[in-house]
Amino acid sequence: MEEDNQSFFWIKSEGQNKLATENMVPGNQVYKEKLIIKKNIEYRLWDPFRSKLAAAVMNDLDYFPFENKSTVLYLGASTGTTVSHISDIVGPSGIVYGVEHASRVARDFLDRVATYRKNIVPILQDARKPKEYFSVFGKVDVVYVDIAQPDQTQIAIDNCEMFLKKGGYFFLVIKTRSIDVTKAPKRIVEEEIEKLKPRFDVLQTIDLHPYDKDHAMVVSKYNH
Amino acid sequence: MYSVVLTELGISVFNDGKLDKAFPFSNAVKEYLLVKNKESKLNELVNYLAGTQRGFAVSDESLLAILKKFSIDCHLMESSELDTIQATKPQIIVDSGFASNLQDTLGKLREFALGLSSSKVTEVSQSPDLHIIQAINSLDEIDKIANGLSSRLREWYGLHFPELDNIIDSINGYAQIVMAGKRESLTKQIFEEAGFPESKVEMLSLISSKSRGGDISDINLAIVQSIAKQVLDFHELRKQLEEHVEAEMQEIAPNLSAILGTAVGARILGRAGSLKKMASLPASTIQVLGAEKALFRSLKTGSQPPKHGLLFQHAMVHAAPRWQRGKIARAVAAKAVIAARVDVYGEGLNQTLLEKLNIRVDEIGKKYENPTEKDMRPPPSFRREGGFGDKPRRGGDRRRGDRREGGDRRRGDRREGGDRRRGDRREGGDRREGGYRDNPRREGGDRREGGYRDNPRREGGDRREGGYRDNPRREGGDRREGGYRDNPRREDQNSNKKRKKFGRR
Repeated sequence: MEEDNQSFFWIKSEGQNKLATENMVPGNQVYKEKLIIKKNIEYRLWDPFRSKLAAAVMNDLDYFPFENKSTVLYLGASTGTTVSHISDIVGPSGIVYGVEHASRVARDFLDRVATYRKNIVPILQDARKPKEYFSVFGKVDVVYVDIAQPDQTQIAIDNCEMFLKKGGYFFLVIKTRSIDVTKAPKRIVEEEIEKLKPRFDVLQTIDLHPYDKDHAMVVSKYNH
Repeated sequence: MYSVVLTELGISVFNDGKLDKAFPFSNAVKEYLLVKNKESKLNELVNYLAGTQRGFAVSDESLLAILKKFSIDCHLMESSELDTIQATKPQIIVDSGFASNLQDTLGKLREFALGLSSSKVTEVSQSPDLHIIQAINSLDEIDKIANGLSSRLREWYGLHFPELDNIIDSINGYAQIVMAGKRESLTKQIFEEAGFPESKVEMLSLISSKSRGGDISDINLAIVQSIAKQVLDFHELRKQLEEHVEAEMQEIAPNLSAILGTAVGARILGRAGSLKKMASLPASTIQVLGAEKALFRSLKTGSQPPKHGLLFQHAMVHAAPRWQRGKIARAVAAKAVIAARVDVYGEGLNQTLLEKLNIRVDEIGKKYENPTEKDMRPPPSFRREGGFGDKPRRGGDRRRGDRREGGDRRRGDRREGGDRRRGDRREGGDRREGGYRDNPRREGGDRREGGYRDNPRREGGDRREGGYRDNPRREGGDRREGGYRDNPRREDQNSNKKRKKFGRR
């Protein structure tokens, strides 16, 4: 095992180098991921097939602004797989605001993740209505958006306007099939990036293949 | 200048930026929700404000509405002021004395968020339509299990008494006879008790004495009998569930039940997710619920769109001649959505809906009594040329439909491309089991609402690209640098690269 930066680690498991984060709540598993103890520190393996952020790292993500003490607004927390790893990374003095609208998955999010991790603030609200969020205060360092909606980019931009710091990073997962099934994925990604351009400097676009089909991650910086 | 600020832990009144008076919530989640739902009375606050000067700036619309009800002169803050409050909220909470310091504030806010989220989950889980959906899904599930178990029972007991299979149609009667024991011990009385008519009882007792079947050991018989017991139990449970769904549907969705019938109504409700969601869907969506595969095929290849999905199970659609079904399905779907809306937002049973639907269906029946020439023509076939490499799907055009079909995509494709004839646009299929099998969405089952992360297929492993776990190539994440398998340098290269990228800040 060796350390790559303070955010995540490459750990040797089953003969391969795998992505992992340091477990903030030792002994706690979120999605039956493997826990590995090295030199008295417990690490959780981070499955790129389950988490698109991990998939992006595997596919050469150049920017990783999630670090100790970061505050993150996460739209589309779902059952909290990725949220839990970000929670590991930002540590006890960081905050992750996890927004999720669907109550069925939010139940798992609350049960498995939010109750155990003191740096997560669960928000069961519709991301379309950022004004109604409670308990979010100040501006955040990173906005991470993974909501499968046809108008997801606009929803994300609205949220950034309310909550993202100037110069803050914005991660947008584009699930092209949710935007339009009939168009070519590549074109959809280009169109969505066009929507970002007036307010964001687009830094990198990553195809998440083979971990997720027809998904792309767009990393940009808020230059408002 | 007075301002009234709603926070998660209480309401504060400021005078020129200085705290004037604070009204902490004793039960933050409950009281905050009351304010948000405009149900709170806020007596203390109202009395206090009434006693001071006029013209308050208020930070929250719900709070504003409540205060206005008590004819207090107030207005909403400007957005710049709201931004300031947003940014300094923890400080406001500390200043108001709702928490002792910033650290405490964070803890309290998080607790509040957890409490509020939990109460929302509880609230949603209580809604009766979710229970109906579970019931109807259980019913379909039980049908599936009972069918399989029944044929197994017939096969197994058939080794001992093969003639019985052809004589007794109802699985219930069959199971009762199995429960009675071996062939030799079957008496007329048993047959009578199982409720068979005299002629059958005669025939059965005649046949049982000279059966072609072999002996069955006691151990085997005991197992067969416990299967029979299960079949009978399932039968009973199914009956209960049916009645339960019927009663509940009449209770919470009387209009929907009137238009669709309770069973079909409940299934469509299940597809939509909840009564409220169904009420917000367009009729065209309801029309094709359950025919997703055909719908997405139509979207991507331009083939004919499906006429009906689950609605095929509806008596009116099912009984109609083929060329009228699409029109009738459309009419039924349109009325069904209106019915769902009346059930959610209106009250009681609205008889005119069903009447109007009947009128419309009669009209269709008369107007399109005979098929036109166009109706007689078989729909264009979407057979693919030359096996796998069809043009419309190639390259980047792999579409959702594909992915959802699960398992081996290629095989699925071939099957689809095969003999696509007339009946194909319909996925309703068999009345009871209605095309579920093909429906990819069933996989996700109950979690449909969101989070496709839960999709069981995502658990790595069995995608076609194959379990990365075992794939040595996937090692460090950078696949471009080649030299994968046994290259000892690989690890270093990889980590150096990453270090450069993310190096400590």
